[in-house]
Amino acid sequence: MEFQLKQRGRASLHFLSDLAVSTSRFKSRIDADIKAAGLDEASLADDLDERLRQVDAALAESPAAAALAALTEYSGVNHGRVAAAAFDEVRGDLEPRLKALMQGPTTIEPIPGERRPSYADAAWIHRTTGGWDGHEYQGFIHGELIHREYVARNYPGDIFAQRRQILSVLPRRDYQRIFEIGTSSGHYTLQIAAEFPQAEIWGCDPSLRMLEQAQRVANERGLRWRLFHGSADDTGLEAGSVDLVTSYIVLHEIPRTAIHTQLREAYRLLRPGGDILFSDVTRYAALNKAGVRWAEYNAVHGGEPFWRESASLDLADAARAAGFVNVRSEGFGGGIYPWFVYGHKAS
Amino acid sequence: MSIELTPNDSAVRADRATQLALTLARELWVVKDRLLVLEAVLASEGFAALGARVDAFQPDTATRAAIDAERKRFIAEVTAALDSPPDRQS
Repeated sequence: MEFQLKQRGRASLHFLSDLAVSTSRFKSRIDADIKAAGLDEASLADDLDERLRQVDAALAESPAAAALAALTEYSGVNHGRVAAAAFDEVRGDLEPRLKALMQGPTTIEPIPGERRPSYADAAWIHRTTGGWDGHEYQGFIHGELIHREYVARNYPGDIFAQRRQILSVLPRRDYQRIFEIGTSSGHYTLQIAAEFPQAEIWGCDPSLRMLEQAQRVANERGLRWRLFHGSADDTGLEAGSVDLVTSYIVLHEIPRTAIHTQLREAYRLLRPGGDILFSDVTRYAALNKAGVRWAEYNAVHGGEPFWRESASLDLADAARAAGFVNVRSEGFGGGIYPWFVYGHKAS
Repeated sequence: MSIELTPNDSAVRADRATQLALTLARELWVVKDRLLVLEAVLASEGFAALGARVDAFQPDTATRAAIDAERKRFIAEVTAALDSPPDRQS
């Protein structure tokens, strides 16, 4: 949907985004400070908590570490607030259009099973003030302002192209019904719909505000998605009713126990011969000790309470334990990001 | 679930003054951006010698009231950085 922010909102959001981009210069200085303190792969502790304490002590007097932490803290807390304020400035103009886009072929219905798992309220994910449902138009704010103006400018590569490219991992192009876990505002769903135009698309998310934006995105393009408001832990949907279950960058937002639960639920939902493709952040096992330390830093400052337990999980073992075969767990294209786990339900 | 702050990170979260300074910087940028836009708009409308005219301008009562209200909003926005961090982590 084409729209324009007012001057205050546009300038504030671009300031926050460029401020976050500017922090990259501190990271090499911090790595140098850590090295100067005598810490390297050999001397960094194997135990992660001990390693964090080692590095923290080494950086106690580091100006670069203090600067990065202050700027990251500010961006982390304020990006959601600034984006919401930018939206509120133009809400009067946008609201009629946003409401009109709720009408169309894409529907939202309560999931038959569990609506909202307890872990969904454990923290405000990404430090977004009020959480995923904290604003009546949080889906639009996150999907159109934060994702496009902040996240896309702060992460390497084309984050929208990555969502399309990962689908090349799948062995089939004839999926008839695809179930997406964690539809959110519909960025990945759009790529699924483009890659598999013949497929019926279902999606679920515990955040109604996010699903409403996915609904608008689909309706604007005349797409017919069936969206379920609720958790993928226990959908209550009919067993053997879909032939692909997929998610993008969702696993690190849920606890380890929920990953196992959702893998089992995906297996139940799939017809024999169906597949899963779950993409997520780089596994800690694929990073060196310093790399894991940086991942932990980003998780702590970025409001990611489940990142560590999720990224530490061996997704291949978890998929096999749920019953999948031909399992692959690896970085896409020989890299380390995005990571994915693929599995097949035997015919 | 694991969000545990190191001593350094805890110190950063307690440092409200730096957060306040960054909010000021953000507000300053909004104003600088607006001035650049304003100058571009006025130049396109044929206004010349803008700097001298701004320096000489004396606000009337209504303009002064509008400036007063905006200043109050500005102070509230900046000092919000001194409030408790607006996020929940258990």
